[in-house]
Amino acid sequence: MAEIVMAYAAAHAPMMTADPGSAPRQQAENFFGALEKVRDVAKETGVQAIVMMTGEHFTNFFLDGLPQIAIGLDDEHLGPPEVWLQVPKKMVPSNAGLAAHITASLIEQGQQPALSYGMKIDHGFMTVYYWLDNSMELPMVPIVLNCTTPPLMTMQQFYDFGVTLGKAIRSYTGLERVGLVAGGGLSHFIGEPRVGDIDEEFDHWFLDRLATGDLSEILNMPNDELALAGNGTGELRAWVALAAAMGSAPGKVLSYEPVYEWINGMGVVLYDGDNVAAKA
Amino acid sequence: MSLYMVQRCLFDHLRRLEAAGDGPKPAIVTEGYNLTPEEVRAVTEPDIGAIYRMGAHPVLINGFCRALGYKRADYRPLLVDTSAAPVKVKARWQK
Repeated sequence: MAEIVMAYAAAHAPMMTADPGSAPRQQAENFFGALEKVRDVAKETGVQAIVMMTGEHFTNFFLDGLPQIAIGLDDEHLGPPEVWLQVPKKMVPSNAGLAAHITASLIEQGQQPALSYGMKIDHGFMTVYYWLDNSMELPMVPIVLNCTTPPLMTMQQFYDFGVTLGKAIRSYTGLERVGLVAGGGLSHFIGEPRVGDIDEEFDHWFLDRLATGDLSEILNMPNDELALAGNGTGELRAWVALAAAMGSAPGKVLSYEPVYEWINGMGVVLYDGDNVAAKA
Repeated sequence: MSLYMVQRCLFDHLRRLEAAGDGPKPAIVTEGYNLTPEEVRAVTEPDIGAIYRMGAHPVLINGFCRALGYKRADYRPLLVDTSAAPVKVKARWQK
């Protein structure tokens, strides 16, 4: 059976690869330093493949058919479509066996993910993934989530999804060491009059709860209230699902920086892998 | 005619731009979407504020603004909505 040997959540502002030097130096060093630490953990644990969740940005789906959750099922996926992202375009390997198993297991557990072939992996994946493995050889199973188009699944529903996702990964027999990654958030506003704002108070509040592992106030928060922290902030659904997959264990907040030049609250939270958590 | 068709027009335009890559940027196509004259004006002029007030999805507005060359939050002045009352709701994380 597979173990989830590493899990982390990280913001995925496009500017982090498109124009990283635009951020104040100390902020950039703190954020990228956290991603380097995560990269070291990936090497130490010998992760064989990752499963990554992020929000859909109308890259793969549109309003004529928008799933709440969709899983890429190919052997490889093309990314990124954004030519300005400063990440080389490449067919990124996946693990079709793991993807198929996750999909089947989720359905058996009562979830209803959409099946997707030909999925493209945009900045939501590639910014974070490129920092994890800039050779882009580490297999990645992509999962996109509807985080911006109401009616939206609630935080509680994404928590429940995360619990089933964790079980699905851990019941796979084709690999031994899998990583789980969430991309998106923290607070940001796009395409509306508050574009450029960052709700630092929300970001600290949210990260504090992940650090304790007590997600109760996050899970009973109505979607309308979450939207007060930004219309892009709903991408934190991926973070909540990841925390759920890791049993609501306390996360280590490796960094938080409100980078106004990137119009995004930037943070990284790392969780102990299964073997470490079991010993604790 | 419908908000969906305005959004479809924008979405298709962004896809054409993506397909064009570094080549010449195609102009936005409005034929075939059954848009009203005001909708055609808004997307071709373009009038970002009008597109916002129609209710277009913020991801599309953001993508459209980026395609027009706006960086970061530079398009914020175009989206001032004087008709909307400020939201005064206290969220649980606010002290």
